[in-house]
Order: sequence, then C-alpha cells, then structure tokens
Amino acid sequence: MIRIFPSLRLTSLLSAAKPLCSSSPAKKPPQYTSLTESKSSRPTKSLSITPKTPLYLRTPSHATSLSEVWKWHDWAKDLASSVEESSKNSEDTLDSVILHRELKWLIEDSIVDDPLVILHRSEIADNGEKNVKLRASLEELYDLWRQRIEKRRPFQYVVGCEHWRDLVLCVEEGVLIPRPETELIVDMVEELVTRDEWFKKGIWADLGTGSGAIAIGIAKVLGSRGRVIATDLSPVAIAVAGHNVQRYSLEGMIEVREGSWFEPLKDLEGKLVGLVSNPPYIPSDDIPGLQAEVGRHEPKLALDGGIDGTDSLFHLCHGASRMLQPGGFFVFETNGEKQSKMIVDYMMTSDLKDCFSDLKIVSDFAGINRFVTGFRL
Amino acid sequence: MSMELTVLGPLAGRSFAIAGKPKLLLLRPTNLPLLRLSLPLSLPNFSSSSRFNSPIVFAAQESNLSVSNENETSEWLMQDFYTLRKDVEIASARVEEIRASANLQQLEQEITNLESKATDTSFWDDRTKAQETLSSLNDLKDRMRLLSEFKTMVEDAETIVKLTEEMDSTDVSLLEEAMGIIKELNKSLDKFELTQLLSGPYDKEGAVVYITAGAGGTDAQDWADMLLRMYMRWGEKQRYKTKVVEMSNGEEAGIKSATLEIEGRYAYGYISGEKGTHRIVRQSPFNSKGLRQTSFSGVEVMPLLPEEAVGIEIPEEDLDISFTRAGGKGGQNVNKVETAVRITHIPTGVAVRCTEERSQLANKTRALIRLKAKLMVIAEEQRATEIKEIRGDAVKAEWGQQIRNYVFHPYKLVKDVRTGHETSDITSVMDGDLDPFIKAYLKHKYTLAMASAVTN
Repeated sequence: MIRIFPSLRLTSLLSAAKPLCSSSPAKKPPQYTSLTESKSSRPTKSLSITPKTPLYLRTPSHATSLSEVWKWHDWAKDLASSVEESSKNSEDTLDSVILHRELKWLIEDSIVDDPLVILHRSEIADNGEKNVKLRASLEELYDLWRQRIEKRRPFQYVVGCEHWRDLVLCVEEGVLIPRPETELIVDMVEELVTRDEWFKKGIWADLGTGSGAIAIGIAKVLGSRGRVIATDLSPVAIAVAGHNVQRYSLEGMIEVREGSWFEPLKDLEGKLVGLVSNPPYIPSDDIPGLQAEVGRHEPKLALDGGIDGTDSLFHLCHGASRMLQPGGFFVFETNGEKQSKMIVDYMMTSDLKDCFSDLKIVSDFAGINRFVTGFRL
Repeated sequence: MSMELTVLGPLAGRSFAIAGKPKLLLLRPTNLPLLRLSLPLSLPNFSSSSRFNSPIVFAAQESNLSVSNENETSEWLMQDFYTLRKDVEIASARVEEIRASANLQQLEQEITNLESKATDTSFWDDRTKAQETLSSLNDLKDRMRLLSEFKTMVEDAETIVKLTEEMDSTDVSLLEEAMGIIKELNKSLDKFELTQLLSGPYDKEGAVVYITAGAGGTDAQDWADMLLRMYMRWGEKQRYKTKVVEMSNGEEAGIKSATLEIEGRYAYGYISGEKGTHRIVRQSPFNSKGLRQTSFSGVEVMPLLPEEAVGIEIPEEDLDISFTRAGGKGGQNVNKVETAVRITHIPTGVAVRCTEERSQLANKTRALIRLKAKLMVIAEEQRATEIKEIRGDAVKAEWGQQIRNYVFHPYKLVKDVRTGHETSDITSVMDGDLDPFIKAYLKHKYTLAMASAVTN
C-alpha cells in the first residue's frame, strides 16, 4: 500500500498540471461575464506558473563546433528560402525575406560570440574546428527553426522575447505578442503627460496587460512619480507581466493584479487619471481565417472580441466612465475602421453620452483608424 | 666579462637580427633601444680606436662577424651610404618643414589651456563638453608627441650618418638601422600629411557605409557583396572595428544591400571619398556562356555619429516617416516581424531606411540619426550653413556619380574616374588595398579646394 502511494501522487500531480500547461483559453467565456468563475481558481494557478527564460538570457552552456553550426545555418537558410513566394494580398504565407531576417536574429540570440562567425563565414580564416558557445543545443535550434516554419510558431515565441519600443519583453504561449501598432499608445500617453504634468502624478491602469508592454512603456514615460496598475484575467499573463516588470525594476511603480477588467480595481473607482487597453477586438467569425502564427498559437482570450469584436470594448467604455476622474484620459485599441466609429457612436449616443469629451479616432502608421481616445468630463 | 655579457645579451641578439634581416627592423615597435645606443656614440671625443672598449659597440661588432664580410661592407659603403645620407637630409628637411608649419608654440599653449580647463572643479558638470575637451586634448597631445617623435627619429639617423663619416670602418648594422628609421619615418610623415588633408568636421569619426546593388539581378548583387568584402578587408587592415549591421541577401547569390559600420579614428575621413557608383566589367560567373557583363553598385558613406553629436533639429512636418505595413487589417490580426522604417526629408528628398533593429521605435530613432548625419554631411559639402539651403537636385547628381571602374575582363584594371589613379593589381584592391586610391582622392580633393579658394 505504502509503495503505491508515491506513484499515485505523481500521476495525480501530472494530470493536475496538464490543463495548466496547455491552458485552452478558447473554452473560456468572455472575460467580464466569467468574473466569479475565474476568481475562485485564481490563487493556486498563479503560484504554479514560472515564466520561461528567453533564449538570449539563457546560460551559454552548449559548446558546439563552428562547422556544425554552419551546417545548421545552411539547412535553416535553405528551409527559409524554400517557402513559397508570398502571393499578393495574402496575409497567410511565409515570406522568405522576413524569415532570413528572423534567422539572423535567432542566431544573435543564441550565440555568445560575434554572430558574424556564422553570418560571414567566408571572411573567417577558420576551418570550422573552433567551438562557439550557444545558449541552446544544436538539436534544439533545429527543432526551433522547424517549429517556426513547419508549425508556423511565431518567431517571438521561438526566441521567447519581443523587441517593442526600447524594451525587450519576455513572451510565451498564452500571452499576446505586442504589436508594433500598439507602440503608438505609449507615444500618445507620452505626448499627453509632457503637455500636462497633472497626468504624471495620478494612477494609470492598463487592462488586459498581457506581457505588460503598455504598462511598462507608460511607467517609463511617467517618470518616478507615476503609478500604473496592470490587470489581466490570464494567470500566464499575470506571471509574464510580473516577470517583465521585475526585469525593468519597476515593481515600485507597476502593480500587477489578476482578474477580469475592472474587477481588481474596485478600490480605485473615480480615481484613475488614465486608462489604456488593447482588448480582444477581432470578430469571432474572423478567428478561423487568421494568419497561422496568430490563429494557431496566440491566445484566443486576447483576440476574440465576440460577434462583432466589440464585446470587451463596450465593457471598457462603461468602465471608463466609472473609473476615471473628471479630466482623465483613455485610449483603446480597436480593429480599425468600422469598429472605431462604432465605439465613438456608442459613447456619444448611449447612456454614456454626457460622460466624455474630445472623442477622437487616431489612425496607426498604416492609416487604419486604430485607436479611440477621449477624456472624462 | 660575465658582467658584460649579461649586459650585452639582449642587445647583441637584437643587432644580429637587424644585421641579418634588415626587414625585421620595420617591425620594431619603438626606437627606444636606439636611443640608448646613440647616447655614448654622440660623445664628441668618441673615436674609432676607442670603440672596441665600449661594450655596446663590441656587441654590434661581434654580431656582424656572423653575417657580413669586408667586401660586402665596402660595397654597402660605396653604393648606399650616400643614398642614405641623402635620404636623411631629405627627411630632415621634411620634418623641419612640418614642424615649422605646425606652430609648436601655439600647440603647447593650447594644450596648457585645455589641461587647466580639465583640472577645473566644475569640469565634469557638463559631461558632453568635458568629453569633447578631453578628446581634443588627446588629439593635440598626439600631434605633439608625433612631432617630437619625428624629430628624435631624424636626429637618430643623422647621428649615425655623422658617426659613420667620422669612423674609419663601417658598422653595417648601424647603417641598416638608420635606413630602417628613415623608411619608418617617411611612412609616419606620409600618414601625418594625409591626416592634415582630413580637416573636415566629421573626418575624425567612424563611418557608416551603405552598399546597394544596382539593377541587373544576381551579377549586380554579387558585385555588391564583393564591395562589402573589400571595405571589410580595408577596415581590418586599418585595424578598425568593422561590423555588418544589416544585410539583405540576394535570391541566388550576393546581397541586395548591406550596412557596414566602421569604428575608429578618421575612418570617415579616409573612406568618405568612396561614395558614388562603382562599376564592374567581367565575365559573368552566373551566365553559362560567360558573357561580358557590366554591373553597378552604389556606395554611400556617412559619419558614424553618437546620438548626442547630431545636433540639428528638423521640423516634424519636413519629415515623411513611413513604416512597413503589416498588411491587411493589421493590429492583432497580423504578426509579422516587420519593423523597417523609412524617413524622407521632404524639402531635399534625402531619404534613409533602417531595417536592422527589432522594434519600430528603435528603427525610427536610428533612421533619424542617420538622416541627420546625412543632411549634415550634405550641408557641409554644399557649404550650406543651414539644412534649408541644401539643394536636393545636386545631392542626387553627386551621390550617384560613377567614381571608379573595375575591369576584370578582357584585361585587368582598376581606374578612378576622378583622379585618374589606376592599377592592374585588381586582386589586391579587392582585398582592401585601397590606400593609394584614397590618398589620390584626398589630394585631388585638397587641390580642388585650394583652387576654388583661389578663384573665390
């Protein structure tokens, strides 16, 4: 009897751990309706998640002969070149030019020596016998590049980080990879706080923070007096965001709280000076047709915005009226075009119609009406 | 005797090497040992009869036994001593001239001024300015050091010549030492003079070299790759730090474009004259018939300026900043690692592109620095005092000018269109031996500037 015990415990642990690792956010109902449900299971989940170390921060413990690395590089280059040429107007094909760039970055992240020993091999008087120190075994590098091309695993998950603004953020499966468009939210906040010091002193909130990108970006532009609360429903996101905040030593300025939208902010009603969010906004019908890297690998929880993609956005509009101080600022990212207009219309006509001023639609660098901004009256 | 031997040990060994292989002398890093030698030798009462009493000369003599005989010595004397004496005289005059034009007193005064500034208690309050002051102080000190080094070197050589004239027999190792000094000195003087040609405001900086393949597919892309290699080799030969920061590969071979950063003093000054179109004529390696093929590649050179050194402000409305579009709906719908940024300065049409950084902001910041550096250089070239005065049409014509031909077939010839400088040793040129071309261009530029200064 006693002998059986350990094995029993082991299996029970394993089966308990499984749903966590492959947490399938798709099955979860939209966030703000699932408050109680998520709340109950929160504490135990958070404890068990340790964010993955991105490739470039790992210990370079894999001495590998240069000739073997070259062989891998040749293979990887060939694989990258062999992908079909991207047909016009299609978002869902691999582009070999981009893949070659990614390969260069993968090398930069995995090698301690100068990456040029790989990239500029003809210039090296070495015959390849020399050893270089890698942060991953060659076997893993083969596997990672295969995942990138065959499984369409996003490059940022492959290397475990995303370069965003002047930050390098850890990302992993279960956390949305911050997009370049979203960098503009921080630009807008920076412009605002430079113009008006008042916004530097108050409390900001970033809802559905994911990797913590916006919260960290804002904390940096606020300066030492600023305070940002970052919330997320996903325990993985909470762990990763907390980790990123720590890496930039911003624990004193950013507080990460787990929970759905405004739920963890009850103590701050009417007290925020700023509210930002990049909520899930893709219409549910569009989800199956997404680019493979997005649709197959990124968390649905962070993408699916309901029938017309506005479920979370409308919820945020109501929350903004409740949470912001008079004069407080908000900016939300949207799916663009139609959706931005819908949000503005909604804020001007519904029971929110006397709550906001200066409602604006701001376009991203591609000219898409990406953001809605405004102030609480 | 044993005492003498220990003193002699290293010296004897050194003399032997020099006497046996004069070439080795060029590798000698300093002329310090010679100073030790020349001191007793320059004593007025020093005569040939007493030299065997001197342990130092004895050492040299001893080593000579193994490598030379009387015939060789006399031959050397007849043929080369007068040449050496002449060379020393010429070098001496050159040093004299350089030192006279350098205005040593003023130099010393400036050094003293800067040194007293650097000891000021408030010196480090403005870090950037402090760095600047220290850097110019170092420059001046370097100059001063070189100028006195030239003097010491030429005096050492003169002493040997004088001594040889006074002596009955000839010390071959000493003469060869003198020859070596003169050779080394001439090299340093050449370099010093060349540096004098580099007085542009950015000449001291490092350089950013952009290479773009011209139209013509694989052949042109291969040519761009060859140029990249050539500049990397050149940089390595100058002991500069070279780094390829961005490279876009061609489909079959070669590169579409590359950005090479060269860090080191005067890198920009030397290499800035390389900007323009480079033309190659060869049998195409990518064509089964091996037809003769002409391809082009463009080279742009900009100073590698630290962010804080790029002092100009450009009004936001003069900039057209375009980002690579993710395509389609963008935002959450798409995840493409495309962060390239292109900035065009609308009034002049000058544009730069930056793709090597991994975030859009980083690419934008870097592109803006590059754009400013480019505008500063163009303004300098056009002698414009403000960015507003830049004539955009002139930029296009000048930066795209064909500057050099590289003919691999049917004969071998590299010829600079501007200076007329040419060589048939195309292999060395492709291996980075660009100095003769660079020197010719700098002199050409200097002459042009002088001429235009006269006519104005």
